[in-house]
Amino acid sequence: MKTTNYVKATWLTLILVLTFVAGWEAYWRHNHYVLAYNDDESLWANTRKQIYQSSPARPVVIGSSRIKYDLDLETWQRITGEKPIQLSIVGTSPRPLLTDLGNDPAFKGTLIIDVTEPLFFTPSGAFPEKEADKRVKAYPNWSLSQQASFQINRVLEANFLFLDDFYLALNPLLSRLPIPQRPGTWGGPVFPYEFSVNGFDRQNKMADAMVADTAIQNKVKQVWMDVGAHSPKDVIAGPPLVDILNQTRKSIDQIRARGGQVVFVRTPSDGPMYAIEKQLFPRAQYWDRLLAYTQTPGIYFSDYPALTRFTCPEWSHLTPKDAILFTQDLLPIIEQKTGWSLRKNASAPKLSSSTL
Amino acid sequence: MVFNSYTFIVFFAIVLVLHNLPFAWKTKKINLLLASYLFYALWNPPFILLLWLSTVVDYYMAKLIAIEQRPRNRKLLLTVSLVLNLGMLSYFKYGGFLLENFTALLSAMGIVYQAARPDIILPVGISFYTFVTLSYTLDVYRRKFAPEPSFLNFALFVTYFPHLVAGPIVRPEDLIPQFKTPRRATSEQLSWGLFLLSLGLFMKVTIADGLLADPADLIFGLPFPVQSLDAWMGVLAFSGQIFCDFAGYSTCAIGVSLCLGFELPDNFRYPYAAIGFSDFWRRWHITLSTWLRDYLYIPLGGNRHGAFKTYVNLMITMLLGGLWHGASWTFVVWGGLHGLFLCLERFWRNRASRRRAMRTDAIPVESVVSRAAVIPPIRLSNPLAQFGLAMLTLFLVNITWVFFRAPTFGGATLLLLSMFGVIPNGAPMLTNLAILTVSSVTIGIILCHWLMRNSSLLALSKRLPWWGLSLGWSSLLILVILTQKSSGSFIYFQF
Repeated sequence: MKTTNYVKATWLTLILVLTFVAGWEAYWRHNHYVLAYNDDESLWANTRKQIYQSSPARPVVIGSSRIKYDLDLETWQRITGEKPIQLSIVGTSPRPLLTDLGNDPAFKGTLIIDVTEPLFFTPSGAFPEKEADKRVKAYPNWSLSQQASFQINRVLEANFLFLDDFYLALNPLLSRLPIPQRPGTWGGPVFPYEFSVNGFDRQNKMADAMVADTAIQNKVKQVWMDVGAHSPKDVIAGPPLVDILNQTRKSIDQIRARGGQVVFVRTPSDGPMYAIEKQLFPRAQYWDRLLAYTQTPGIYFSDYPALTRFTCPEWSHLTPKDAILFTQDLLPIIEQKTGWSLRKNASAPKLSSSTL
Repeated sequence: MVFNSYTFIVFFAIVLVLHNLPFAWKTKKINLLLASYLFYALWNPPFILLLWLSTVVDYYMAKLIAIEQRPRNRKLLLTVSLVLNLGMLSYFKYGGFLLENFTALLSAMGIVYQAARPDIILPVGISFYTFVTLSYTLDVYRRKFAPEPSFLNFALFVTYFPHLVAGPIVRPEDLIPQFKTPRRATSEQLSWGLFLLSLGLFMKVTIADGLLADPADLIFGLPFPVQSLDAWMGVLAFSGQIFCDFAGYSTCAIGVSLCLGFELPDNFRYPYAAIGFSDFWRRWHITLSTWLRDYLYIPLGGNRHGAFKTYVNLMITMLLGGLWHGASWTFVVWGGLHGLFLCLERFWRNRASRRRAMRTDAIPVESVVSRAAVIPPIRLSNPLAQFGLAMLTLFLVNITWVFFRAPTFGGATLLLLSMFGVIPNGAPMLTNLAILTVSSVTIGIILCHWLMRNSSLLALSKRLPWWGLSLGWSSLLILVILTQKSSGSFIYFQF
């Protein structure tokens, strides 16, 4: 070996890599990209660890993406003094998480279950359960080494934009190449960067550019149409639906038997998406039946004027500003519906909403 | 702890600094040993007890075996070591499998028996460190290696973190002598070690996890038939994934070790350019194949007792080699197929060499008959013919990977039928991007293996200008940084 060759090569490599990293970071900052945390297994596991401190003021939230956008955790904390434990996972059914919480003998807390019908009412083992299943199975094996890596990663992600693996990793970048679609296949939804910014508390927010620009909103609407076109056309009914209801009831009963409390929430959707959801999953056959079967209170947004006044810019999620208002209005409804005491100070007057 | 984690980067930086501080050699070895225990304990701390048990028992058993002169007592001591090591391996790795098969057997006999499902967690790396300690005891028993007087050296040999959980499977002579004298990496060893670590990470993070894992997982996870193209792409994706995952780990391990001044044996030598299955096993997981050869095939009799016994020994070795990879009949079939191909190749080579010998005796080379043949004989020295044979080998290796990766025989059969177009109208599943990615990576791997099959990376690096090496190295690291996402765990950890 020629000593100088290898040592020189090492130093040049170091310089080149550091130059690339600096340039790559500068490029995304220059393009007004927003800093986000990766909503990965480790962030989820870190949040999952907190469920044993749950209370009505600090509920565990499970569901799909809507509750991640619509429930503003800061607003909830401002009112109740505690931040909810957000366990929802985008694009998934919350049922594997509910089963997990039901089977966890140490969980005796308060649970909010977000229901997005096309995701909640899917057969066991179907695609919308896969990611949730994966995280539930991985959690008990979250090793000390992974936890240490998570703490280091947390510091790095707080400072470097380019570490966003949902949008800026190699695979998402490759998926944006203009390669024609193979007939009969679909690579999955490709959202614009501005659609989602994930916080360390696992709340999703639309970037300002998305709120301001209807062209970006339209791109997301197009994604939803693609998702609809590639989703199974058969809606679950009959015995498989009864199975789902039985499983849900069993998990809720397990939680209640330990002193826990549960409420269902149906967050807003809009436009053609809401129309299709109503058509495919008629409320009486799905939502009402779910509440009756599980003997659990539920809040359906359209029952309350306070929750119906919002517009989802891309039919499915609220803007950050509306999420604040929605949360403010949702809290007194939860109190009224469940009897839970959510106020920071028990002697404070009951929460109320001007439009309730 | 895995190499592709931030924890490892911090851990390794601390170990490297400690190893280069002016401590006594014994202190440095103690540091390495403690670091190795920490490396292992950060997965699942209680399992470190198994590692200690194996280390202590084998250290003392080997000493007793060396002192003992009576053959029967020596055998008894060896048996104690074998029973302990293989017993632990059997319980943790094969406990569930054995119970499942026992229940199935009873059920086949009409006896209803429902055993409680055992909840056994497989300790990471148990298959690897069991083979490491076994090789030590067996070598001492055969008087090939004197028992190591220093417990510290022996414990470090077993536990040394670069090889601990997924190899290379080291032999006593590979590592113990290196612990006897003070070692520190030279600046060029450190540079080369860091390069190998970068290359290994690139193979694991970018190629295996980033580009190939998704198509492979998708195709192997489907319960319905797919188009032939999709089936082949899924298998090729897994073929590349398993190579880059495992060879990536070995390359990282060798690189990390070199940074500390210790050399580990090579584990892969461009296996997808192998010509024939015996060549494949000289290039794939070399430390396992040589282990099986030395401690199983040869003790069984090897090729010393006639053709039939040789074939039987080959089959036994490969079937057990398959079972070593996992407690499932699909792994046994995978090993069986490799054994079968090895036997066929041996049969074909023996017959060809007999014929050649007869022809050489009877007809002069370049005789009238030979020149008048309609189809000219394929000369195996011809590079094109060699490449063809290498591709035939790779084709058959890919068939065997179906059994290795498929979760069930049903899944394997479905995929094989799809691959050969037996089931018409299968669904198209992979996007053009996925097909393009898998094809490009596969072609890249084959070209790289073919061009490098008689060379080495070190030799290649010496031919490159230093800035050329640096450009290539930077590209690898930039791609690793860009890929970001990694599954964390290596496939071979489960074996």
